[in-house]
Amino acid sequence: MQALLSFDQAPPLAAPLRFFISAPLFAMLAGVLILSFGPEIFLSRWTAPTLAVTHLLTLGFLAQVMIGAMLQILPVVAGANIAHPLTVARLVHLLLVVGTLALVAAFLSFNSWAFKTAGCLLAGAMATFFLAATQALFKVRSPNPTIVGLQLALLGLLGTVGLGLLLVFALGGSCSLPLLQLTALHFGWGVIGWGLLLLIAVALVVVPMFQLTPAYPKWLAQTFCPLALLVLTLQTLAELSGWAVLANGLASLLALGAAIFAVQTLRLQRRSTRARFDASQHFWRLAMSCVLAASTLWLGLLWLPSLFSEPVWALLCGVLIFVGGFMSVMIGMLYKIVPFLIWLHLQNRCPVGVMAPNMNKVIVSRQIYGQWRAHAAALLLLLVAVAWPAWLTYPAAVALLFANGWLLRNLLAALNFYRQHAARPAGSAEEAQTA
Amino acid sequence: MSSARADFVVDARGLEPPEPMVQTLEALGGLAVGQSLMVLLPREPYPLYRTLQINGFVWDTRFADDGTVEVLIKHSLD
Repeated sequence: MQALLSFDQAPPLAAPLRFFISAPLFAMLAGVLILSFGPEIFLSRWTAPTLAVTHLLTLGFLAQVMIGAMLQILPVVAGANIAHPLTVARLVHLLLVVGTLALVAAFLSFNSWAFKTAGCLLAGAMATFFLAATQALFKVRSPNPTIVGLQLALLGLLGTVGLGLLLVFALGGSCSLPLLQLTALHFGWGVIGWGLLLLIAVALVVVPMFQLTPAYPKWLAQTFCPLALLVLTLQTLAELSGWAVLANGLASLLALGAAIFAVQTLRLQRRSTRARFDASQHFWRLAMSCVLAASTLWLGLLWLPSLFSEPVWALLCGVLIFVGGFMSVMIGMLYKIVPFLIWLHLQNRCPVGVMAPNMNKVIVSRQIYGQWRAHAAALLLLLVAVAWPAWLTYPAAVALLFANGWLLRNLLAALNFYRQHAARPAGSAEEAQTA
Repeated sequence: MSSARADFVVDARGLEPPEPMVQTLEALGGLAVGQSLMVLLPREPYPLYRTLQINGFVWDTRFADDGTVEVLIKHSLD
């Protein structure tokens, strides 16, 4: 049996891997920035270095992994094929890398041209990805909850990018806008409209598939994403109309929704048929626990502002969401997606009757567990550093650098594994399978 | 149970990727002209369809009430 994949259908390995390998580099750069600015980073979420670090993590790490994974996942789970996948990947990746660096430079210099340049580059990256993904997704003939979730997440991305561009051009001096209000909306659309919707749409498939759990309940699979986007839209309108209580009520519903998804995922994990949790499941459990903690804190920030007035609480919520929630899930998924893709592409090269090496050999399990501990330690140090920046900012930055350096090492080891086995003469793959 | 229609059955429900693909490919390797293979899966196997097409197989997919996806595969020469 030959030719598992045809490259007119599935993207070549280089398309998603360029995004996956860039992601830890941006997180390492965030670590370097925290080391350079020191405890000032944790003064407030509004300082320029903090905004730069936040966007290194969200655009640099999270968006890179999300876009790379989506390019790969669309054909596999949805049968939706992106036209010219390698060309799209190259263009989006280049614009996203340069655009993110330009945005970080803009935050650190507050130069209006840097903001405008970043805005144009990021708009180009997101528009290219949006058009390519939309063209693939909206022609799927029989949409299932995952496909609907991915379609809605793309609308969420549109909202996030639109609000982000308004902010970038306002900061660049092109127009005058209510920056704080727009920032809150940009945050909400990024976290819920794009991030959470994409996470749920993908979780509906990958949690049962890779963690050997029952499926998510139908009510959650079918109603969650449409309902969340509707509530987010109403919340945005209430916020813009100045109806603060209604806006807070709707935002609370969104926080509760995130918590329900996290609880449901944790409950499914407990019903996994796997005898012992693997590293990916540990990443997911950590992420869902952080989502629960962040949702609780978000409710506190909304309804008890006097109790949570110190900047430390909002920062804590941000670390829980971005590093504890999204980053943990992304790393956990990378440890499934990357070995699977490498196995699939190696299998594609095997002659009739020869099987590719076992998927579990692509990244050594010991290295994955080691990186998992490093990531958990970095998260813990970052959370504590928010409360005691003078003492723990530097150890937290070093831990973030170290954990992402280890992730980079593991991803490069996977790439090296592919190159070694792809270069071997036909027939030797079977030996590796039985070894 | 429509698997009674097939000569061979691969029940890949509850298996972690890439095991369903591995077992299906192994079964297809031994499938003679005139024989059929039923693959039972928890979801639609989009990558498998293209593989089948490239390698000269035809298939019929049905969705059971319990959520199982049943893919009945034969050689296109049949």
